[in-house]
Amino acid sequence: MKRLIGPFAASIVLGLAAHFAIVHYAPSFIMDRAYTMLGERGTAVHAFNLAPQMRPDTQSVVRPSPDLAYSACRFDLTQAPGGIRVVMAAYDGYSSLSFFDAQTNNFRTIRGNGEAQEGVLVPKWATSSQEGAIYSPSDKGIILIRRLAPTDEDYARVVEAAKGDVCEALGE
Amino acid sequence: MKRILTYLAFAILGIGIGGYSALAMAGLLPGDRRTGGPIEINKWYGDFAMGSEDASPYFRARIARHGLLALANTEAVYFTRTVDDTGRPFTEGCSYRLSGGTMPARWWSVTLYDAENFLPDNVDNALSFDASRAEAQSNEDGTWSAIISDEEPGEEGGWISSKASGNFDLTFRLYVPDDGVLDRPEEMIDAPSVERIACAGGAS
Repeated sequence: MKRLIGPFAASIVLGLAAHFAIVHYAPSFIMDRAYTMLGERGTAVHAFNLAPQMRPDTQSVVRPSPDLAYSACRFDLTQAPGGIRVVMAAYDGYSSLSFFDAQTNNFRTIRGNGEAQEGVLVPKWATSSQEGAIYSPSDKGIILIRRLAPTDEDYARVVEAAKGDVCEALGE
Repeated sequence: MKRILTYLAFAILGIGIGGYSALAMAGLLPGDRRTGGPIEINKWYGDFAMGSEDASPYFRARIARHGLLALANTEAVYFTRTVDDTGRPFTEGCSYRLSGGTMPARWWSVTLYDAENFLPDNVDNALSFDASRAEAQSNEDGTWSAIISDEEPGEEGGWISSKASGNFDLTFRLYVPDDGVLDRPEEMIDAPSVERIACAGGAS
């Protein structure tokens, strides 16, 4: 029996390590897959892409709302030394501009309230004194604009509004 | 050699148990659909830590799988429900009446999802019921109702299609919740009821 103490202890240590590693890394792993998949579906880095109306054949992330129109921008601050300028164009109806880090945290959301909203995304360690600076906990992540559009007519209005959305890397 | 094999066997066993327990506790196993949380209102379950840095590692992993890119609670709160008013799991083979009244938010919706967390694969263009459709029913007291079924109901009113959904669940979203909802959700939210009407084969 004593001969099994060592293997048993190793089993517990490895089991705990596997358990906590999976729980810890699962969100970033899933987020990374979503980041990659958005790219494969046409969302470039540092550019908003308006998704088609959410329907069974167009959904790309879990549990989308068919009543909302989604515009996504993938960001990578290692490719944007001066930060990323983000503009959500005005929309008559509910709209929000939300920022998600690599750990899936929604670290900032700005409500539209019928007006255009603008900010500059910078790394959390940046010493930016720029007005409207938004500090990102991670280099990579996703910026998402939601606009309420339950009908085809509403979605057509979103298409027009989304032409004014901006997600662009700034130089030094 | 025997000693090495013993260590190897125990290592595999430990990693297997540790890995499986992590997947189970974080809702990452195939077929797991628990998106609930500590807040329960009329069989709707929610967790206001969704999207927040305050979420526990297990809940964060679960949301990454079942509700990626969810908003933090100041912007939206989410509830999920998998059973009717009597506690029986939702199934495509039955029809239901979803009903409620005014909600403490700028906008709300109820959407149906299949077991894979996606909109069911049908072309009925009736995937949700929301505040604008409730307003269109023009009831003076603010009450509204919608049928959940795999075929369009004969009666007028709202409809959510459950066609091709199998064993489905419902997500209730409240966008821009009123003051007090985050502190006193059970008191502020009169969450919709879901009454089972009938099932294929005559069961009710």
